[in-house]
Amino acid sequence: MKNTRVARRYARALIELAEKGQLESWGSELERLAAVVDSPELEARLASPELSNTARQEAMAKIAERLNLSFPLRSLAVVIARHGRIAEASAIADAYRELVDQMLGRERATLTFAVEPSDEEKSRVLAGLEAIAKKKIIPTVKVDKELLGGVVAELGGKTYDGSLAGRLHEAQLKLAGQA
Amino acid sequence: MAAQEGEGHGSWLGFLFFAINFLLFVFIVVYFAGPPLRRFFSDRASTIHSNLAKSTKAFEEAEALARAASQRIAALEGELAALKRELEEETAFQLNRISELARSNSDRIRRDTEVTATALVGNAQRRVRENLAAAAAQLARGLIARHFQAADQNRLLDGFMNRLGLEARR
Repeated sequence: MKNTRVARRYARALIELAEKGQLESWGSELERLAAVVDSPELEARLASPELSNTARQEAMAKIAERLNLSFPLRSLAVVIARHGRIAEASAIADAYRELVDQMLGRERATLTFAVEPSDEEKSRVLAGLEAIAKKKIIPTVKVDKELLGGVVAELGGKTYDGSLAGRLHEAQLKLAGQA
Repeated sequence: MAAQEGEGHGSWLGFLFFAINFLLFVFIVVYFAGPPLRRFFSDRASTIHSNLAKSTKAFEEAEALARAASQRIAALEGELAALKRELEEETAFQLNRISELARSNSDRIRRDTEVTATALVGNAQRRVRENLAAAAAQLARGLIARHFQAADQNRLLDGFMNRLGLEARR
């Protein structure tokens, strides 16, 4: 289980080091690093008890170098290896993103369309969500044919279901006398 | 005459001799055999007294037992009547209790059966409704997948935007 409190501490430390313009680029670098160390093979190899702590730190430094990360991110990679927090990398990236979003007054939303949406459709839905959140929304757009039609938006832990699958499900529940 | 005198004189002496002998004999007998005889008769007398007392006591006890037995026999009739009455009362009570128990069991079984039957009917109805709803949903899915068009997606998005607008105004 990922330790969110620890992850937030690392993320906060990184944010305090960053200049205003670096927040976004460091965030994407951190996500790249987390994606690499989160891969099952690498995670298993780095967690192996046969690997000494020094070797683990060296491996993390090499990975960060190979990913062409900036120096503070390379240092973070080594520090999390030194403190045995490699498994927390993705939690740190999540916490970092969340904190940066809070600082910049924005929120993330997942938009799932039944069919590939046009830019105009994405913009319409985004505008609607921004009107609700009163913040800038950073969307993650997905396509799921199981929705049959329409769109489902997830924003701040709340789901707005405008899909045909959702309506069908509601109708099915009503018909079955469960709603 | 002298022989007669001598016979007469000899007879007094002989008598005296025999009398003394007899007295000696009596004295010896009384002296030596008297105390044991007295002890024997005294012991015998006390044994007879003790046996007599025991016999009297046993006789009194036997008489008391006989009296108690005759009293018990006399009371037995009443006791039997009371016992019979008690048994009849107990039987009536038990019969009543069993009858009430049977009635309450029968009521409970009837109620349980009614509840079970209602639940079974409810479950069956629910299952039928669920199956029908699932079949209808499946059918609708197939129809939608075959006939869904871009205009439908636009209409759905319009509806969704209206919902978001309402949510934003809240």
